[in-house]
Amino acid sequence: MVDDVVLKVKDLTKKFGSFVAVDKISFELKKGEILGLLGPNGAGKTTTIQMLLGTLTPTSGEINYFGQDFFKHRSEILDEVNYASAYGNLPWRLTVEENLQVYARMYGVKDRRRRIDRLLNEFDVSELRHKTMDGLSAGQKTRVTLCKAFINYPKLILLDEPTASLDPDIAARVRQFLLRQQREYGVSMLFTSHNMAEVTEVCDRVIFLKAGQVIAEDTPKNLAGRVNATLEDFFLAMARKEEE
Amino acid sequence: MKWHRVWAIVIRHLYNFRHSWDRIADAFYWPTMDIFLWGLTSRYMIEQGGSLPTLAVILLSGLVYWQIVWRSQYEITTNLLEEMWSRNLVNLFATPIKLIEWVIAVVGLGLIKMAVTLGFASGLAWLLYAVNIYATGVWFVPFLASLLMTGWWVGFVVSGIIVRFGTRVQTLAWAGVYILAPFSGIFYPIAILPEWAQNLSKVLPTSYVFEGMRKVLMREAWPIRDLITSFGLNLVYLVLATWLFVSLFNKRKERGLAQLE
Repeated sequence: MVDDVVLKVKDLTKKFGSFVAVDKISFELKKGEILGLLGPNGAGKTTTIQMLLGTLTPTSGEINYFGQDFFKHRSEILDEVNYASAYGNLPWRLTVEENLQVYARMYGVKDRRRRIDRLLNEFDVSELRHKTMDGLSAGQKTRVTLCKAFINYPKLILLDEPTASLDPDIAARVRQFLLRQQREYGVSMLFTSHNMAEVTEVCDRVIFLKAGQVIAEDTPKNLAGRVNATLEDFFLAMARKEEE
Repeated sequence: MKWHRVWAIVIRHLYNFRHSWDRIADAFYWPTMDIFLWGLTSRYMIEQGGSLPTLAVILLSGLVYWQIVWRSQYEITTNLLEEMWSRNLVNLFATPIKLIEWVIAVVGLGLIKMAVTLGFASGLAWLLYAVNIYATGVWFVPFLASLLMTGWWVGFVVSGIIVRFGTRVQTLAWAGVYILAPFSGIFYPIAILPEWAQNLSKVLPTSYVFEGMRKVLMREAWPIRDLITSFGLNLVYLVLATWLFVSLFNKRKERGLAQLE
């Protein structure tokens, strides 16, 4: 059904001079679906996410969210979308609570106090609320960034290696949280990760990018089935294909 | 336009102000030092037989008026730099915020902080030297408005250059506006400048404000013509600077805002 599609990307291309970082990729993301974006370093995953956020202008192609053209309705669309990356940061002089207050106001969240308390509890960072960001460990910063990413009850969330700096226990809790958001609220997610076990656990479907092109698209189980092994073996087979 | 997004940016930087000794020093420490130095200098010059009875008022008014230009441009440029230093630029512009909302927020912040600095500096000038910075009376209001406009357009030009070239040109945030200072006649009449510099002064709105300020303080004439010229130039430069900033920001997005972090 057309209405089920929350994100539709068509022939999206990004060139930096003569270098083609993303080459006419097309895909769809359905409501309540978690779509993995996999690929070796330099495959174009982060470039794709930056274009989907509007912080990088595509060379050509179309991006549609909720049936609306992103380039014409950027602001209304981003009200319903959010983003987290293990490599980004939040203002380092502000406390955790101040940062979340700022972003809650940015999205016009009505029940700011309750939403912040709930997310701080959910990601187990309540005791850090009065600490400034520069005093946090990498894992703590990542969890605060995830609180920011869910502050506006997003319908769609873009996650760029969200568990990269987390220990296995916290990473597992984050995955459970993501799956609960998907199950209970129908949140759709576009998810990049280098942890294949995580992708297998969380993603309904995976797009494999290499040199800016989509070279495979299927469920994690089916992709693993193509090499009669695990998703990690599939990843290695695809990444090394050209080298052999 | 959503005001809750404008307010979010305002409180983001007010929180930052609360935690940052750099920003607190900008607002209070440097104006205090300037007023000490120029107040004492003018007192010494008067004691040495300075023939200008309003010397202290002229020097300290020039100083405080220049703070208005500096503060309003500085607020725009450093608030942009704060996002770059915090690696928060992508997070920020991945929200629904529009560039115009960000611009309104930083301009508003500039007004708030300028009012604080102005109140503080003028209070200090009165306290230490019994000098009334508002001696220009009702003329102070249009002077203030014109100087604010200058600060804004300089702020947008400098921000555009920072967006284009990144933090390697960040020193412009502090130093950029000072290129106007020698030609603005902050502490001296434009007439003492060499001819080529006087010609340059003619295209600077600040030169008309400072000349006008002296005319009022020395009760020479009402500077209506100066003010009109100043506003006209500011308006043209503000439109051009805004266009330049928006163009360079959009151009930067072709390479990605993440590259600025």
